[in-house]
Amino acid sequence: MKRSFKDDFSLMAMLLIPIGVAINIVGFQLTNVLRLPIFLDTIGTILVGVIAGPWVALLAGLITNLINAIFNPVYLPYALTSMAIGVGAGLLSKFGFFKNVPKTIISVIVITLIAVVVSAPITVLVFGGATGNTSSLITATFLASGQQLWTAVFSSSFIVEIADKVVSVLIVFFIVKGMSDRYLSKLKYGHLYMKRRNRS
Amino acid sequence: MKPNALLQLHPMTKFYFSLFILAVVLIVPGYWFAFSVFLGLVAISLLAGVFKEFIGIVLKALVSVLVIVFLMQIFFFPGEQVLWRWWIFEIKQEGVYYGLILTSRILAIGSAFVLFFRMTEVRDFVKSLEDKGMPPMGAYVVLSTLQIIPEMRRQANTIMEAQKTRGVETEGSLFVRAKAFIPTLTPLILSSIAGTEERALTLESRAFSAPVKKTSLHKLTKSRADRILPILFVLIILGLLVWRVVLWQTS
Repeated sequence: MKRSFKDDFSLMAMLLIPIGVAINIVGFQLTNVLRLPIFLDTIGTILVGVIAGPWVALLAGLITNLINAIFNPVYLPYALTSMAIGVGAGLLSKFGFFKNVPKTIISVIVITLIAVVVSAPITVLVFGGATGNTSSLITATFLASGQQLWTAVFSSSFIVEIADKVVSVLIVFFIVKGMSDRYLSKLKYGHLYMKRRNRS
Repeated sequence: MKPNALLQLHPMTKFYFSLFILAVVLIVPGYWFAFSVFLGLVAISLLAGVFKEFIGIVLKALVSVLVIVFLMQIFFFPGEQVLWRWWIFEIKQEGVYYGLILTSRILAIGSAFVLFFRMTEVRDFVKSLEDKGMPPMGAYVVLSTLQIIPEMRRQANTIMEAQKTRGVETEGSLFVRAKAFIPTLTPLILSSIAGTEERALTLESRAFSAPVKKTSLHKLTKSRADRILPILFVLIILGLLVWRVVLWQTS
């Protein structure tokens, strides 16, 4: 069945965007309440990508960072990262990379790489290497031990991102598993994760 | 109270102003200019009567970032002229200069956007985007997101309290705290997703996706200033670009 670009933005998919954005923001606040060293601020974007496709997730990522930027403009340039993660998650889902745990681990690695490759240049070019989060400390340590700026930023953001994305992607995997077939059937890639399919 | 002339401007005009600041700060070299742009923004916030909120957010969100960005540059920017040295730390002239440029720019551009959102209701901004041709669905998505966030935050607290009564620990070592995350988030996500089906039914019963032109109760008007200012911004930017190119060729 061939679907056009416009069909991606069905009403159900569009209604998923506010939820995805709110999950991102509330998830991030929960990590603050629980004082965890990772952010978990892309769970919603990845979730939207997995069940509703890359373009809807791109929008969800963009809106998340725009809303965060209302209160902290530092988030604004990182909208590119969120959008890239959304598209990446959507494409991975299209090719079935969230169906079981081993494939999900490949998704974790791919999404981490996307996050690092898109966010590290922003950190270096816009903020000169540090923005004051957990990875800044690691970056400073690498720099003090004599590494180049780009290597230091890439390696420190890789360390932070991999921890973040392992947790985020696994949470998404288990949440999608917990969704009802009735709901999944209404979304673009939902049919990939329905339980009934396996019975027939 | 007399309505404030600055706040009365069309949201698009204010948005163009933020973009204008972004362009100007990137075109004009040196940190003195960018710092004075920030002072100009502070003056605008005073005139618009949003000084308190504006400066509060700038202090809370930007200053800590700026300090760290500046420290990174003075210690790690490659340079020759060492100003000060202690153990493995060296402060270099070039680093101080680059740090000042970078922080002044981030400060000016960041606060331009903070000021924009202090002076503009998101509702008005979204409406003006809709007038520019964004589909009404987009406007609905943005506005309902803003409504859903506080709602979900409350729900997250309720769920966390409920899980505490069940015996899930939210204090203690890192691992214990991390384990509390999943029993809070999973029910939150699944229950809010279940709510979207009802929302879809409600919207459809009011012909939300009907392919007709929507009428809006909320109207925005453009004054004369709203027509002149964007042209002025473009002219200034073009002037600065020409000045920059001339300066670059003569040097």
